[in-house]
Formats: sequence, structure tokens, C-alpha cells
Amino acid sequence: MTTATLSAPSDKQAAENQWAVETHGLTKRFGENVAVNGVELLVPRGCAFGYLGPNGAGKTTLIRVLLGLTHADAGTMFLLGQQVPRHRDKALARVGAIVDEPRFHGHLTGRQNLQILAAARESEARDRIGPALERVGILHRADDKVAKYSMGMRQRLGVAACLLGDPQLLILDEPMNGLDPAGMQDMREMILSLVAEGRTVVLSSHLLDEVERTCDAVAIVDRGSVVRQGPISELLAGTSLVLEVECSDPDRARALVAATVIGAADGAEVTAAPTGLGVTLPAGTGRDVVAEVNRVLVDGGISVYRLQVVQASLESWFLQVTSRLGESQ
Amino acid sequence: MTMLPDISASAPVPSTTAAKPDHRGSWIPSVAMISTRFMELRKRRGLMIALILVTIGIPTVFLAIRLLLHAFAPHTYGPAGGYAIYSALVSGVLYIFGFIVAATLGATAGSDDLGEGMFRHLVVTGRSRLALYVARIPAGLAIIVPLVAVGFTIVCAVCVFAAPTKLSFQGVDVPVGLSRAGLQSWAADHADEVICNFDIRIGPSTPSASAIPTVLNATPCGNGPGGRVFKQPPGVQGQPSPSQVQIREVAHLIASANYADYSRQFLYPSTSLMIKSGLWLELEAVIGFVVGLGLGSLIGQRTVAVVMMIVLEVVLTPILSRARIPHLSNLQRTVVGLATAHLSPGGLPVLGGGGGGPGGGGGNAGLLPESTTVAVCVIVAWLVGWTALGAWRMMTRDA
Repeated sequence: MTTATLSAPSDKQAAENQWAVETHGLTKRFGENVAVNGVELLVPRGCAFGYLGPNGAGKTTLIRVLLGLTHADAGTMFLLGQQVPRHRDKALARVGAIVDEPRFHGHLTGRQNLQILAAARESEARDRIGPALERVGILHRADDKVAKYSMGMRQRLGVAACLLGDPQLLILDEPMNGLDPAGMQDMREMILSLVAEGRTVVLSSHLLDEVERTCDAVAIVDRGSVVRQGPISELLAGTSLVLEVECSDPDRARALVAATVIGAADGAEVTAAPTGLGVTLPAGTGRDVVAEVNRVLVDGGISVYRLQVVQASLESWFLQVTSRLGESQ
Repeated sequence: MTMLPDISASAPVPSTTAAKPDHRGSWIPSVAMISTRFMELRKRRGLMIALILVTIGIPTVFLAIRLLLHAFAPHTYGPAGGYAIYSALVSGVLYIFGFIVAATLGATAGSDDLGEGMFRHLVVTGRSRLALYVARIPAGLAIIVPLVAVGFTIVCAVCVFAAPTKLSFQGVDVPVGLSRAGLQSWAADHADEVICNFDIRIGPSTPSASAIPTVLNATPCGNGPGGRVFKQPPGVQGQPSPSQVQIREVAHLIASANYADYSRQFLYPSTSLMIKSGLWLELEAVIGFVVGLGLGSLIGQRTVAVVMMIVLEVVLTPILSRARIPHLSNLQRTVVGLATAHLSPGGLPVLGGGGGGPGGGGGNAGLLPESTTVAVCVIVAWLVGWTALGAWRMMTRDA
């Protein structure tokens, strides 16, 4: 793990830092309530990173702390290698963010709102207004008042505002909110294209399916703490495997499989269903075990019509992780 | 357990996109920030209409009606302009309403980003919050200062070009610009009018005072309509008729006693007075805007801030400026309205009138005494203090 030094890094050092977001022991309290509890978060550069958690887990609070919208009570944090809030201006110069519902001056047009935001950035930001509006697909409505925009259009305008600073890091809090299916598809494609350009996108969302389809890595936050983080593929590799078997005589089939070493293995579970079996295999089970199940059934005179390996989804894994946490507490 | 990620394959973004130095952390706002903030305020149609109506519309409508009335019935309605109208409009309308509209604009500028969710977007740009605050000051002043100037210019133009041609002093047409000797001489020639209409402020110690009751008693206006009556001391009945010399001498004395008031009477405001009044009104508007901005930023709400400013200007300031509260006079002197009233150009009635103007004792009569230095210090303290409070809140507020 690379840890940024506390002294001010040079721009080159900061640019070469491999983490887009790095926090250590980050804590934020609201009275007795600890909204962010010692968060250790590492977001690699150049990827789409999902930040998941149930409602009230502290997702938005962490984002607000990172962006300097509210202060942290303890811990250190770095954005693009720059310590914040000490070098907040340098760090945020290349950060774009949507936090909560994107709201703008309703009496101004979308373009005028972006002009206000561009004026607070470097002079080149003004030239990026048109391309940003075009990229999010609202150029044709750019001169309409924002008060007439739908929620989805405001989301798009929020993303356009993020793009004004030519960001290396985008932090999007629930960007799919208010979008129709086509809009969600557009947003997904845009996020992927931003990542393809070498930018880092941190996506906070409760839409696990969207995160799974968009992100390379995730962190799960619960009760203010990050409980898991890493590449999705690696995280899911540690989950159990489910084998769906469609066969004749499910009860006898269940007895056959349960009597084998496979069925007796720690973490394995065999259940009968009207049309077949469900076999849950422990994490790390090899493909040869699947073939062994098939052989046992066929040798036992069971007709196997279909046999499918089902990898656990992010959603099931998320529920698994969060429910375990609930049980332990 | 927190599992640290093992995703080191992603290459860092090339540093070619590193931000150029743009003094983003500086408290000094860029011209673009000021101009876009100006645009944001200017595009508030309802607010702009209200500001224009109050600063330009009210005096314009008032003067237009007077112009029309005078045009159609000149004997019934006096000229639209003149010094009296000028002083009434400047101190009664532009002074008070200018402050209130400036405060409304300031409170809007201080709270609208927060209320409409733009503050968060602006903070995320990394721009200094202090610069975000400071940008609102020139932007707002660029709106309110010209508005007050336009309203004031209209008042000046009408009051000068539609001024009366004769000066009416205490109901008598008197030539303009006479010296004390000139007024005395004129009074001697118009003794009856002077004796019947001018205020008589002559005591027993005044030379020739003994002749006054005799003269008044014998003057034709006597106790008749419109005449001023000198309370005749006992035993004056049946005195002999005064001579012409005595009558002229009494008129001479009365004119001399009224010269101070007369010297403050003009057909129309002088250029010097208009310049001073204009600057004074602009100062009041600047104070209103800056205080409104600070208060709006501090409490984060426009409506409450505006109500508080109206109460300050319309209720508290007139009371605290004239009441004599034992042991609290120094506290009263910290009221900004009292300080600006003390800086008012001479002759203008202030704080709701009654303190000066025609027939009054000057612009500051009746106000709690305060030196010019103290008044300036109070104004500077209000400007700096409210700016500091508003900026502090903006810098520390959760976005």
C-alpha cells in the first residue's frame, strides 16, 4: 500500500500517486452519532469504484467530508495525492462531484448555471461548457430555465457541471436517481467512457446491479465503517457457488448427493425442489466438483436435464455481508 | 475486517491534465466570478422589478402625478419640483426605501446559493469560500448603486426643472437669495405681510420690544384668518396707533429673527446639495447591501434577514436615534442609521422627518448628539463587522 506523506507533495508526486482517494481513520460525528467511523478507503486511479451501503450507512457523509463540504473530526484524507483540506484548492481543481440531488438556480438556464460554476474554476472551464452539455445530451435544452428541467435532466446537468474542470476524479452520489431506463443506460455508458479516458469515477449507489455492471471495484460501508473493499471479481470469488440441477426424482437425487463427500463438505448444502436440486458449494470449489455431482446422479439412475453453475451476484454478496454484520451485532 | 484492495494494475492518469495555477485559494474573486454573480442577481426578474419600482418607480410616479396636477390646475396645485419636494423625496423615500431594497438585494445575494443548492457546487470547485463571498459585493453594488442613482437623478431633474419661480416663505412670496440686510429691507417695505404671517420670535429683551404689541394690535390682519397673533400683554388696550416708523421697525425685527430659516429656503436644491445628497444616498444603499449580505449569509435565509432589516430601519433606528435612554446613549450611538443621519447633507430632514428641513432646526436637530468621527467609525464598523460575520459563516458552514 502506498501512503501519501503528510507534507505537501509536488504536483508531479501527487499525479504519480496511485490512489485517487485515500483515507485513514476518517471519522465524522454528529453529536453522539458516528456517521463515518475510522474509514480506511483506497480508491485506485483509473477505475470505476462503487461505494455501496444501506440507507444511513454514511455514504453521502463520507463524500461530503472528502469534498470539504463538511469537516472531519479525525483522520487524514487525500484526493489525487493532495492532502485535504490543507491542499483543498489543488485537489478539487481536478475533481468533479454530484452530492445528493443536483440542484441549481431555477431562474437561470442550464448554460448560465454552468457559466457560474465555470467562473469559479480555471479560465479554460468556460470553453468546456458546450462540450459538457453535448456529452450529457442536454445541449438542445441548454438555454431553457432549469426550473423547467426534469429530475433526470438535472442529473445530467450535474454531470455536465462535473466535467467543467476536466476532472481526473468524479464522485457521483446516486447519479442514476430520476433517470429512465434509457437515461440509466446513457449514464452507464458515459461512466464507462470516462473511465476509458483514464479518469476515476467513484459511484455511490444503492443500485447494486448498476454498480456491478459499471464498476471494477467496490467498497461496502455499513454503520459508518468500510467493511469490505476490493475488485468485484475477487470479492465474488470468495463467495459460495450455487449449482442448479434440473432432474428427475429430486428427493432421491438429494439423498444421493448428500451422501457423498461433496454433500458432507463444510459449507455445502443440498436442497430438493419440485424440479430438481439446489447445491450450494463452499467458496473455492473447483469445476471438477460440478462434474462429480453429475456423475453421482447419472450413476444413481437420475435423469439430469440441466445443470448450471450460478456465480453469486453482487447483490447476494452484499446482502450476505451486511446480514452477517447484523447477526454479529 | 477491512480488506485492502489489490488493484495496482490501473495506471495513474497522465499528469498532462494537472490543473494550471489559477489562484483558486486566493480570497480575491476573479472578474468572471463577479460578472456571473451579477448575472445571477440581475436575472431574478421579480426581485429586479421590485427594486426598480421602489427606487425609480415610486419617485417617478409621485412626481409625474404632481406634474400633471400642476399642469391642469396650477392655482390649486403647486409646482411638481422645488426644494421642499426634493428634501421630502430624498429623506423620506429614497433614503429609507433605498436602504431597504439594498438590504433585500444583499440578503438575497447572501442566501440564494445556499437555499437553491448551488453553494455545494461552488464549494466543490475548490474556490476559496471567502472569494465566493467577496464576489457578491461588487456584483450586488453594480446593481443597487445605479438603481439609486437613476431614481435620484429623476428626482433632481424634476425638482430643478419644475421648481417654483417664487419662494413662498411662511405663506408670503419672498424674493430668493436675500442677505439679512436685504430681507430686513424687503420686510420693512412689506410690513403688513411680514407682521401678519412671519413667526414672531421676539422677546421682551429685544430692542423696541415695547412697540411690538402696539404695532401688532394696530395691524389690520389682527386676529383674522391666516394672521399670526402676538399675545398682547395686559394693559395694552387703548394705546395710541403706531407710527409708520414703528411698524417698519417691527417688521425689520421680525425679518431678522426669521433670517436663519429663510436662508435655508431655496427654489430648488443647489448643485452642491444634490451631489452631497446623492453620495449620502449611495452610502446608505451600500450599507444596506453589505449588512443585508452579511445577515443573509449568517442566517442563511432571505425572508428573515429582510424583515430584520426593515424593523431596524423603520422602527428601531428612529426610536433609538431620538430617545434619550439613560446610561445607554453610547449604545444608541452604535446604531448605523443614527450615524448616517448625522452625515446627512445640511437641511435635509432625516429619520422620518421632523428633524430639519424648512422651518426646522437643521438636518440633525432632535437626534442623539454624535460627532462626525464617531459616526464614520460606526459606519465602518458595521460594514467591516457584517462582512466579517457573513464571510466567517460562509467559510465554516456545512455545504
